[in-house]
Amino acid sequence: MPVDSPTRSSPSLILAALPTPQLSTPECPRRARIQVDLLLLATEALDLNSGETLLTLAQDLGLDSVVKGRVNLWLLRSTNPMRRYSQRRPMQLEEAKALVTLIGHQARRLTVLIRQLLMGYQQLAAQQLSPDHHLRLADYLSRFRSHFRARMNPRRAGVIAYDTDEKLDQLALQLLEQLLLCSGVLGTQRLWASLFDGEVQ
Amino acid sequence: MTVKRQYRLPSCTLTLEGLTASSSDLQSPLTVLMNAECQFASANQPPLSGGREFLDSLVTAVSYYGQQLLSGVVRPLDKEEPGPVTVKADQGGYHRLIVQSTPLEAMENSQALARVDVKLTTLQFHDLMEAVDQLLADTQTLPDLTSQLQPVPRQLVKPTTPIVQRSAPAVLGAATLAAAGLALFFVPVPEVKPPEVKPTVTRESSTAPPTSTPGTPPQGDSANSSPEDFTQSPAITDPDTLSLLQRDITRTLQQGWPKDAKPSGDLSYRLVVSEDGDILAYKYETDLALGEVDRTPLPELAFDPVGSLRSSQEPVAEFQATFSPDGEVVVEPWSTAEAAKPSATSAPPELPEIASKIKDSDRIRQLNDGLYDRILSNLQPLSASEPLTYRVRLNQEGAIVAYAPINAAAGLLAQETPLPQLVNTAASGADQLDFMVVFTPAGVLQVSPWDGWP
Repeated sequence: MPVDSPTRSSPSLILAALPTPQLSTPECPRRARIQVDLLLLATEALDLNSGETLLTLAQDLGLDSVVKGRVNLWLLRSTNPMRRYSQRRPMQLEEAKALVTLIGHQARRLTVLIRQLLMGYQQLAAQQLSPDHHLRLADYLSRFRSHFRARMNPRRAGVIAYDTDEKLDQLALQLLEQLLLCSGVLGTQRLWASLFDGEVQ
Repeated sequence: MTVKRQYRLPSCTLTLEGLTASSSDLQSPLTVLMNAECQFASANQPPLSGGREFLDSLVTAVSYYGQQLLSGVVRPLDKEEPGPVTVKADQGGYHRLIVQSTPLEAMENSQALARVDVKLTTLQFHDLMEAVDQLLADTQTLPDLTSQLQPVPRQLVKPTTPIVQRSAPAVLGAATLAAAGLALFFVPVPEVKPPEVKPTVTRESSTAPPTSTPGTPPQGDSANSSPEDFTQSPAITDPDTLSLLQRDITRTLQQGWPKDAKPSGDLSYRLVVSEDGDILAYKYETDLALGEVDRTPLPELAFDPVGSLRSSQEPVAEFQATFSPDGEVVVEPWSTAEAAKPSATSAPPELPEIASKIKDSDRIRQLNDGLYDRILSNLQPLSASEPLTYRVRLNQEGAIVAYAPINAAAGLLAQETPLPQLVNTAASGADQLDFMVVFTPAGVLQVSPWDGWP
């Protein structure tokens, strides 16, 4: 059952719920780093206060030993190679587990909004209307576009692929669906397993 | 006891009917499944239902498809045991849930559709997945059914680029190599020129070591050649080669010398060494060296060339090797002073013409002054009774490229002047100029440009 106010527990217990995959290196693969950062970007576009909420959530969950404050969170997210100020530091599996746990909790908190937006999008799509007709959906999409363009390096091949508004909207909607799938009882575990698809031995 | 468990979500309801393990205990979990039913709220069609096989297949298909939506990586279908339920993507962001009824069920109930195809929105699929997840997390219902979330192994993932595209770089590389090989086939093989050997021949001087008397050949090496056999061979004159050879020979002798064989005094030998470091011949210098030759490694190391090769035109170098009683081997070039003198006198008195002369008058003045200073600072008192005149050639940087004596006394006494040690054979340069250097008997040094002051 979804729990709204998680009780404080030790980080090792929460992180142990996510099994360590059999990777060739003990660091996160490239696709996982991109995916984690993009999902966090989508939660920011959904909720303006998401950055602060994330830090509070990390403290509540006892994950502040892994995600140590704002700068550390920024450094972790900057391991995304698409970023403008991409860091060459690797993302450890423990750090990725913490971020995936935070994404799962954020998605659960925002479930109602995500469902509303997806419902609205489906209704508009059924009538062949553009997403601009749904106020909150248009709001989310435009915020996602501006976040994405402000933070990603436009010279990167991965970013050039999203050079138009339509392509970015598609990405934003895809991330919205993925956030919805993360919000369930086993959503965090599902997201974690999916990060290493095609990477394990 | 028959129980019913229901997982209800906004657009999807999953209902399970089964038997508990113990009929008296209300807390006992549902362990035997009788029927599973899945009903979508908006779809106007009968609920999907089936037994354990249907439920297992539903759980697997939904799990795999959910993971595919999250990662974008398609897990290939299980070829061996395809379950009755599959989920796949449809156009326009929809998803399709397809249920094939098993042949047994179709026979029992002819009314049942052979194949049910439900179109789901993302929200509906999410609710279906959430219902499955709640069932998996529920320990009170079918405890043996738990989540098996595993990343797709690399071996199962189809590469995103087709094989033609992936093999293109390799094919291109092979084609380029073949083309390059074909093109280079027509290029002639470059001719390898051996380094030029100066045609000067070291003549046996009158102060040569005592020639072996015919009656007393060295013990045990009567078959060996003597250094005299090589008098007609060209000498190696390149100082770099000589020093290299000297090092080589020292090492060879040191390694080949048995540690227990120590001579009673210094043993000195004259060696003839080929360009590649083989000892072609050797000869004792002293009687002691003759008597104790077996205590040195020379008899074993000496290379006996085939008769026809003897006294061939192979370039050779001569060294003096001294074996001391304390196990040291000293190798020196043979009589440097004697070798240097003939080379100095036999050097052509005329220097070759300069291709391009230095014309800048300021530079000429500087070179003149620099040359004067350098000679003066190295000058020792000379034993000459008449002026010694030399033609000295400088390059642009002021290094002495070559010099030539002009009068006979200058040729004889060249070793007394500082010029031989100032010559830099490595120096070269496009622009050069000659200077006249005169050492007067009174000890006065005169330096001036050969062609006069500009």
